[in-house]
Amino acid sequence: MLAHFTHAKPYVLKNKFRLSRLHTLRTKEDSRWPGWDVVIGIEVHAQIKSRTKLFSSTLTSDPHDPPNTHVSPFDAAFPGTLPHLNPKCVELGIRTAIALNSQVQRRSAFDRKHYFYADLPSGYQITQQYAPFAKGGSLKLSKEDVSVRVKQIQLEQDTGKSTFHPRQQFTAIDLNRAGTGLMEIVSEPDMRSPEEAGDYVRTLQSMLRCVGSSDGNMEQGSLRCDVNVSVNQRGSGFGTRCEIKNLNSVRFMMIAITSEIRRQINLLQSGLPVMQETLGFDEARAETYPLRSKEDAPDYRYMPDPNIPPLLLDEVYIADIRQRMPELPAATRTRLQSLGLTSRDIDVLMDVDSGREVGFDGELRPGAVAYFDSVTNDRDPKVVVNWITHELLGQLAFRKETFSDNPMTTEQMGELIDMVQEKKITGTSGKEILRHILTTRTAKPPSELAKELNMLAVSDDNVLERWCSAAISALPQEAEKVHKGNANAVNRLVGYVMKASKGTANAQAVKTALLEMLR
Amino acid sequence: MYATCRQWREPLHLLARCRHLHAINSTLDTRNASINAVVHPARISPSVREPASLLYDFSVAVKDNICTSSMPTTCSSAILKDFMSPFDATVVKLLQNNGADIIGKTNCDEFGMGSENKYSVYGPVVHPHQPPNSDVPWENRERRSAGGSSGGSAAAVAAGLCRAALATDTGGSTRLPAAYCGVAGFKPSYGIISRWGVVSYADSLDCVGIVTEDVDDAGKLFGVLSAHDPKDPSAARPETRAQASAHCQYHLQQISGADDFSGLRIGIPQEYFPEEMDRSMHAPLRRILDNLMSRGATVLPVSLPSTPYALSAYYVISSAEASSNMARYDGIRYGSYAPPPLGSDKMKTANVYAHTRSQGFGPEVQKRILLGTYALSADAFDNYFLQAQRVRRLIKADFDRVFAVPNVLSSGETPEDGVHVLLHPSAIRTAPPLDEGQNADLGAYVQDVLTVPASLAGLPALSVPAGLGEDGWPVGISVVGQWGCDEMVLNVGRMVEHARSL
Repeated sequence: MLAHFTHAKPYVLKNKFRLSRLHTLRTKEDSRWPGWDVVIGIEVHAQIKSRTKLFSSTLTSDPHDPPNTHVSPFDAAFPGTLPHLNPKCVELGIRTAIALNSQVQRRSAFDRKHYFYADLPSGYQITQQYAPFAKGGSLKLSKEDVSVRVKQIQLEQDTGKSTFHPRQQFTAIDLNRAGTGLMEIVSEPDMRSPEEAGDYVRTLQSMLRCVGSSDGNMEQGSLRCDVNVSVNQRGSGFGTRCEIKNLNSVRFMMIAITSEIRRQINLLQSGLPVMQETLGFDEARAETYPLRSKEDAPDYRYMPDPNIPPLLLDEVYIADIRQRMPELPAATRTRLQSLGLTSRDIDVLMDVDSGREVGFDGELRPGAVAYFDSVTNDRDPKVVVNWITHELLGQLAFRKETFSDNPMTTEQMGELIDMVQEKKITGTSGKEILRHILTTRTAKPPSELAKELNMLAVSDDNVLERWCSAAISALPQEAEKVHKGNANAVNRLVGYVMKASKGTANAQAVKTALLEMLR
Repeated sequence: MYATCRQWREPLHLLARCRHLHAINSTLDTRNASINAVVHPARISPSVREPASLLYDFSVAVKDNICTSSMPTTCSSAILKDFMSPFDATVVKLLQNNGADIIGKTNCDEFGMGSENKYSVYGPVVHPHQPPNSDVPWENRERRSAGGSSGGSAAAVAAGLCRAALATDTGGSTRLPAAYCGVAGFKPSYGIISRWGVVSYADSLDCVGIVTEDVDDAGKLFGVLSAHDPKDPSAARPETRAQASAHCQYHLQQISGADDFSGLRIGIPQEYFPEEMDRSMHAPLRRILDNLMSRGATVLPVSLPSTPYALSAYYVISSAEASSNMARYDGIRYGSYAPPPLGSDKMKTANVYAHTRSQGFGPEVQKRILLGTYALSADAFDNYFLQAQRVRRLIKADFDRVFAVPNVLSSGETPEDGVHVLLHPSAIRTAPPLDEGQNADLGAYVQDVLTVPASLAGLPALSVPAGLGEDGWPVGISVVGQWGCDEMVLNVGRMVEHARSL
């Protein structure tokens, strides 16, 4: 897409006062480029995680699929074929729009953008140039209190892939990706540093993953960014922007922006103008390089697509999607905070969720937060989150497994926590049972497992006393120290009892008993 | 005229029919060789078909821009030389499923762009007609155009090579050749017959057309082909069809049947008699109007004031869409590929494509691609494409102002004294000579002046033979109705046929 946010347009000028105020309020002097302000806008192309393509019933593909195995006559632009809009793509687009607080348009339409390229079989891309399906909106960044406005979201087709083989001097074309649905999410030029740009893309990624509309994987190419950068001296108006195309990792995007900021500042400092250009990024040299100038910009000859009727979305349909929306990351965070969870625990749970695999067609797979919610029910949230983050996730990590491999049901976890809380088993036994479930993947309830494994807590005073006496006889020096008032020395005696009881003794009760006996 | 193959209409025992086919095939081949109508004859002998099926006794030829999996689909273009489509168009499937015998593919103007069927890689279609007073052998008859772009389809029916033919109609491509060839040519309402498998020229205008010897046959084919197809995104939804049909039926009841046409209100659009029109076209129309009036029909003058702008708007819109639709023909995935000359810079996509496209597309297609590309360029878009869209809305509004039947696609009022249908000459002249010089070019575009308004408005329009003109060549009269009033247009078409035979 061509950039929609040329800074010279009256539309932007209208907002300039508010923008610059917001800008001045926010910008701290950046020690990397003192006296300069940086303005960044980003166009994100996110592949829609639908089972079939945007306008055909061909299954979408994976980058590992053999080339040209997901291609129908329509995808290869055979004569006589016609597009058929996939409603799942529309639904996922609407979910994204709702998540970004964007206004879903009651009427939108599809246009053709023309250019000749081997991976564009029909010679045009179907997109939404004149009437995108969602307008406006914003995304709150995670790090600082910054909100980036969204200009519009449009649905469009992805292209195929062409790979040039220099040795044989030919280009191989793979149409697997051709016609897959994309959401183009266009931001306003609201970011002021490479870090904010990185934060925007990462926050957007987890948002898309949360609502299930895209897996947002930059390395695999399911999320791609075009970045517009301009610089200006503090206090003067926006500078001329340059667009950096096809960045495919957040890290490289930030490096590219930094390098581009320096290039533009260097130009201006030596009295040269910044020319409006489209740039590529050389990852090896960490530099941008010109692709084409403004004069060479192609004329895409946009035309309303005469085959596809306008997309009319009624309120009931949108409301229904809103109803079935998953909880958004910000709301989840607020809710978990109100339950008394620490930021660290919340981060752990939410990181697990943003790393899970995104299902097709918006199918929502329960993640760690849902697991937490389900176990908590009327249990103590802090206790539950400890069991999940420390024990369950810890053990899974130790076993090099992910949360999606977790065999322990929420019922098992709930009962286990209850048994420990009610002192039916000790904490040590609880952890042992958890490990047992992960190893054997048993579906048996923890109560049954505790019995089988002889782990029911021993609270019988006679038995405890017998173990304590044995400990005192076995470690007479420690017993003597305790007797003389060194309370810390009791720990080795407790340890001895715990070992003897195979963890079934309640450590606190043992400690009390030992201190009593040695007083 | 010459012998038509009426006997094909009699349901014959299959075996007898095959023997019969064999016998007549050679004469048909000879005949076709002189007309150049059928360019890919079906190689497969007719499969066993169900005698009870609706189209059992129909032999049908299919225009070469409609996809068939058992015969090439070349759109008469070098760029699709020998192209075999991997699928059958919905209309072809419907024909087969209803027992029709598809006899082959017909010649046409390249991708449907043309009015005389001379822009074809197979050469022009030669009109099969010979005026009654001619005394040379049929093979040496005067060479006239069969019209275009569906010249092959119209000529095949006129010459009796088949009982019916599928055509397409973007701006008159079914009606004009039907008028020239003296057969019935029907362009139904836009969005009623599926376009899945019809090679796009200008999607917002393209319709599948039907060519038959008489209106009854057109109605039979239309009944089968008008099924709603979810594969066509521009297909009118079943609810919309039902709504339009209800309006149509209500008004049809006002028009009395068989021999009494009282209640029928016919509008004659005054703008449809431009100065380019040959005066000899008036007499056949007047004769038919007199007969209709004698049966009780009311004939009223009406005005469609935006008509003079229709032709320009049509060529801007259709060329713009054509330039877009032709972009896929690059020789990479299918079709013919012309390798760039040695030493050319193949890193630029445009360099690689240019050779294939320059060699593969004929002059008329290239002309329209250039015109359309210009109309869509950033500088011209507002003044050409958007302006043409505005004219198109005016044309639609013109029609809505004269029809008694409401347009279910728009929400305008219907006039109190509205007409049921419009009647006008289908063409400004009879079939033009084939070998006219180069400067006849602009004249060729003018031939569409009477047919493009109905295309721009998406209305059903039927050209019915109205007898011979002064020069002894066929003349057609067009019946145009409100959107969705296909039944009414066909009914009035039958009345015109009736009036002709009086």
